[in-house]
Amino acid sequence: MKNRPVKVILWALFLGVLVFYPSLFGLYFTNIFVIFSIYALYATTFNYLLGYTGLLSFGHAMFFGIGGYGTAIALERIQGLPLLPAIIIGTLAAVMLALILCPLLVRVSGTAFAMLTLAFGQLMHVLALKLRWLTGGEDGVGGFPIPPFHIPGVISLDITDPKKFYYFAMVVLALSMWVIWFFTKTPFGSIQTGIRDNPRRVEYLGFKLPHTKAVVFIISGGFAGVAGSIYALFQNLISADDAFGIGNSFAPIIMTVVGGIESFFGPIFGSAILSFIDELTSRYTERVEIVTGLILILVIMFAPKGFSGFLRFMRGKWLSPPNANPALEETK
Amino acid sequence: MESDTVLYISQAMHGLAYGMVLFLVSAGLTLIFGMMGILNIAHASFFMLGAYFCYQVLSMTGNFWVSLIVAPVIVGLLGVLCERYLLRKLHAYGHVGELLLTVGIGMVILGSVKIFWGTESLPVTVPQILKGLVKLGGLEYPIYRLFIIALALVILAIMGLILYKTRLGMIVRGAVSDAEMVNALGINVPAVFMFVFGFGTWLAGVGGVAVAPILTVYPGLSDQVGMDAFVVVVTAGFGSLKGAFIVSIIFGLLSSFGVQFVPKLAPVLMFGFMAIVLALKPAGIFGETE
Repeated sequence: MKNRPVKVILWALFLGVLVFYPSLFGLYFTNIFVIFSIYALYATTFNYLLGYTGLLSFGHAMFFGIGGYGTAIALERIQGLPLLPAIIIGTLAAVMLALILCPLLVRVSGTAFAMLTLAFGQLMHVLALKLRWLTGGEDGVGGFPIPPFHIPGVISLDITDPKKFYYFAMVVLALSMWVIWFFTKTPFGSIQTGIRDNPRRVEYLGFKLPHTKAVVFIISGGFAGVAGSIYALFQNLISADDAFGIGNSFAPIIMTVVGGIESFFGPIFGSAILSFIDELTSRYTERVEIVTGLILILVIMFAPKGFSGFLRFMRGKWLSPPNANPALEETK
Repeated sequence: MESDTVLYISQAMHGLAYGMVLFLVSAGLTLIFGMMGILNIAHASFFMLGAYFCYQVLSMTGNFWVSLIVAPVIVGLLGVLCERYLLRKLHAYGHVGELLLTVGIGMVILGSVKIFWGTESLPVTVPQILKGLVKLGGLEYPIYRLFIIALALVILAIMGLILYKTRLGMIVRGAVSDAEMVNALGINVPAVFMFVFGFGTWLAGVGGVAVAPILTVYPGLSDQVGMDAFVVVVTAGFGSLKGAFIVSIIFGLLSSFGVQFVPKLAPVLMFGFMAIVLALKPAGIFGETE
């Protein structure tokens, strides 16, 4: 980047806003922001599959849900369980699920992959409804104790306070997102995009397709589990329809498409845009899905690159020096 | 006659009837998939629209037979419009866009249904002639379920005739295996696509009308039956009509006998069946491996 100082200032500004956000905007908007961030991470894990590896998952909610249920049930059943192990249990539950499913899923791609994930997502939904002794059926798991975030001698944070929860959630979510971003920049990330663009060539180069897909699937599922786990802690409730419902599988898809599939930050934009639209439309009507459905159709029909594609277009038009090569910009 | 046998037979009837409805829905789904390569996520929503139109036409005309004819036709026309003005424009850009587009269409249909008809269950009554039981060989059968089975078989027969005995069917079968080649032979493939999509959604509409009196009409209908239809298509193998028929009947029986013998496990049985099939054969029972 040529404008390093500008970039540093922008990041500092961004961080400053993040830090003072709760004091600036009050409780209501803080909670909206937490939900937005949870879904931003969730959509990012989804895009890690679709945008970076070309795998379209229609059942991503199963990881989100099992992460939430894992944390909620662990806190409900195990007396005095600290917070971090509870989150780790949720994440591991999601990783386990991904491990169990990946032998079936990595052999297929495209529509078959989408259908299989859809079916397994529904299976998880049914299981969450039927295994009443574990999951509480339709009511879900709620009212479990939430321990403080406690590292001996370093920090002790009572996260039942919404403002403190905000900081806690921001750190966990931002860290997770940074790890995913880091993964996309490694050589492994290049193999991923290779699989998306030309799987056969990647295979010729000597990389094992199924194994690579399995690793991607497990990483994506695990971090979706983190998002679900934070969601359960935030609501102090996780219920089958909320967590495993088909709507929750479609949410990250819509966010990613609206925000832009080909960009890392696309899903985050998408989550912001949809939170905003949700917030606006739910004041006037209960039928939010018709609005989001229409937006989805319009974006796919007329702006398939989504919001980040639009941003890139604008930047290319106004902010690049006249001799810059637009084709180079495209391929980045 | 022993009471057990009677019970088994009536359960089998329920299962068969449900299997037939599943077949009507999944046949359209698998036909569209085989032909155009897209999985129509909105298919379940078209199915639900069929049920709602049936309710609407019935409350306007009071005649079930009219709604049986009219409602699926309207659904099919809507399908044609969706294909012509939305899906066709995306066809050149690959399947992910089309798949996501059908998600959007499904959401819009669901939202519109809730706006026009509300969220409560709406009852649909069948005409007198289809009510009650009929005695056959010492056993009693509910007439309406027999009617559903007969209806599905008639449609299956017509479909078979069109597919295997007419020129149009020949083109459709050709386009299923290689659309580009058929296009190169001078046949208007986009028009055929439009016809098949309309026909598929028409089938879904017929399925919707058929279940409306049994399950009543409510917005959750698309999730309930639609998901089962998706599982049928996955298990049978994408694009296989024969597979869809057989697996639909297996699943119908599985669900009705499942409720009878292992009520707790019943909703999971289908998924279990699917998981076993896919573990052994990832392309589905009748699917072709690439």
